[in-house]
Amino acid sequence: MLDPRTHLVLAIVAGIFTAVVPRITATAAIWLLLLVGVAACGRIRAYLRWLRLAGSMALFFGAVTWWAADFGAAALAAVKLATLATVFFLFFAVTAPEDLANALVKSGLPYSAAFVFRTALQFVPILARKAGDVLDAQRARGLPMEPGWSALRHYPAFFLPLLVQMFQLAEELAEAMEARGFGRPGRTFLKNYRLTWRDWLAIGIGLLALILWIGITVNNRRLPGL
Amino acid sequence: MPVHIVETRQLRYRYAKTQAGWILDGLNVYVQPGETVLLCGASGSGKSTLLRTFNGLIPHFYGGRLEGTVRVAGCLTASRSVPQLFDKVAMVFQNPDSQLFNATVEHEIAFGLESLGLPRNEIRRRIRQTCQTVKIAHLLGQSPQQLSGGEKQLVAIAAVLALKPRLIVLDEPYANLDPAGVRRIRRTLAAVHRQSISVLISEHRLACSVPDAARMLVLHAGRVVLEGSPQQVLTRHLEAFGLESPPAVKFSRRLGIRPPALDIAALAEAAGAGLHRLAPALPAGVPAAAIGKPLLSAAGLCFEYQRRPAVKHVSFVLNRGECLAVVGANGAGKTTLLKLLNGLLAPSRGRIRFQGQDLGRMKASQRARHIGTAFQNPDSQFFKSTVREEIEVAPRVLGCYDPTWLQHLVDRFQLEAFVDHPPYRLSGGEKKRVAFAAALAARPEILLVDEPTAGQDARFRRALGKMLGELCATGRAIIMVTHDLSFAEQYAHRWLVMARGEAIAAGPAHRVMENAEVMARAGLEATDVFQLRRLVQEHAGA
Repeated sequence: MLDPRTHLVLAIVAGIFTAVVPRITATAAIWLLLLVGVAACGRIRAYLRWLRLAGSMALFFGAVTWWAADFGAAALAAVKLATLATVFFLFFAVTAPEDLANALVKSGLPYSAAFVFRTALQFVPILARKAGDVLDAQRARGLPMEPGWSALRHYPAFFLPLLVQMFQLAEELAEAMEARGFGRPGRTFLKNYRLTWRDWLAIGIGLLALILWIGITVNNRRLPGL
Repeated sequence: MPVHIVETRQLRYRYAKTQAGWILDGLNVYVQPGETVLLCGASGSGKSTLLRTFNGLIPHFYGGRLEGTVRVAGCLTASRSVPQLFDKVAMVFQNPDSQLFNATVEHEIAFGLESLGLPRNEIRRRIRQTCQTVKIAHLLGQSPQQLSGGEKQLVAIAAVLALKPRLIVLDEPYANLDPAGVRRIRRTLAAVHRQSISVLISEHRLACSVPDAARMLVLHAGRVVLEGSPQQVLTRHLEAFGLESPPAVKFSRRLGIRPPALDIAALAEAAGAGLHRLAPALPAGVPAAAIGKPLLSAAGLCFEYQRRPAVKHVSFVLNRGECLAVVGANGAGKTTLLKLLNGLLAPSRGRIRFQGQDLGRMKASQRARHIGTAFQNPDSQFFKSTVREEIEVAPRVLGCYDPTWLQHLVDRFQLEAFVDHPPYRLSGGEKKRVAFAAALAARPEILLVDEPTAGQDARFRRALGKMLGELCATGRAIIMVTHDLSFAEQYAHRWLVMARGEAIAAGPAHRVMENAEVMARAGLEATDVFQLRRLVQEHAGA
């Protein structure tokens, strides 16, 4: 198993590749490679659920691009966005937020900053559930909060209870953390986060590939002008 | 004289930036090594505030004004920070969602140990040890947020037990649990007690907490009004302090048994042949006289969550003037059924008819005209700046605004005193009353209520029961989802028992509880009153 910091570096490399490759075939190849990774993790079903959300965003983005430019640019934009979403999915499929945060603390990141990062990620599902509860409560008493324009008229009925509950949750969380020794100096960690030769090899290959590709691209662009 | 783990002297406390007076008013409280103490009192009596003074959250986290002293193992909490006290007095909070903040159960247990700066091997050893005590080794790799209510409580206890504290303080640990969940927590706390760790439980549900306590404290308006062994305290009338004695104690009093028995088995033993004298005093159940014609019917309702069946072929009829309690263990499909009825979920199969009309295509927001819902957490709905505006939301949106009816609701739910206050600032019980009024504001024929008594004191339960009876008397029908069987026995005409998504029985409470197989399948336990009635009948027969 690789260190969470290695996962982060590789995800950044994959993200840069996806963002800068100019051809749709190359982007699709990266996507395919990532899909092999998703399959290897046994997370295909979860990925398909994720793709339902990310895919519809990619299609929307593509449609806007088509309207502003042309079909080729739209297809490239949509595939790039879907590929970036896959990078994001794969990264979090193999990396627990607290492992990443703890490993970054080991590399010098202040613990409080790392904690904010990991807690923000962990509380997303709770907030999503609370948002669902607010919608249910308002619909059940007659507010037309079903998707559509009429729901927009009643946005305070959604946002205000959610906002208040977010503040309540944050306060309760802070209290619970304090009561479990958060901020006490001399913290240790359950896991040992150490970069092994495998990590350095993976980071080396990733960075080398990126540098080589950038070098070749810059060189090719220079040639016609020489 | 033994050194107390926690000791308060003339403790007074008031929160910062509030107009309210002293929440704690001259308290002298102590906890001895290895004892289990039950702290009880009505809502607002100061229980949760007192618990927070033990681990220093008050005053270090909350601020406010604290007078007198709190000592933990001889040290003043005022001169120690919370992280310096957390391994001596550990706290399990009421809301599991906010106290479980790690990605896995293993990390959750490790968090406090990491804070202590323990070596990795010691952390692993303590996790193993704690899992053996709490019996949650199979959950280690799971996300705490995916667990059931009972499992979350166990993880929260494990996370503090691993610290090897001198005292564990639990704030209403049974509030949202079904009987099986309560049994598991009680077994775990017994195991904790065997390790000579003191336990202090703050709880409204006396019937399940009294038998485990060595000492009881009753708080009222920030003062200790009763203190002693449960037998000593329970001989007094707790009703004056907003509490309700467990049935065994009430009936012991009636038979003149002193000290009172703490559970039904002990009562039967103490009463002996005199048990039959209780027959006239036992409540007879809810009379069905006012029940009218069918109002709502469900036929073959099915629903799946992510392809897993949550509700399977549920059918029933709800009559005018009837209160139907949907009972079952946590995860049995009760709340899902409620959401199918009010249209928040669409059944994959089956039909719902209201006064003969198929509700199939009617949206939830349209059904609200006929079916009002009061959910468990009223905070999910409040968004107006006053209680009055909050109650007016539904009738204004649905076009049925009637100021006379709204004033009637304000009077019935006793909201007049705070009708111009912001709803968020109210107490838990007051918020529930506002939510009930809001659910009835559009004059629906049916009221759905989800766990109305969870975390509420006896005074609220009595008021709620009376209110439900009055609503039924006006011809409205009520469906109440609850795991509070004694409340359902007292106020519901009929029970619908759910287990693993299926309705496995329906009928009056006593008929359902007579069927031991149904109760076992549903993971339920017969109420104390039912058990007592059965014992009395057996005695009379003999």
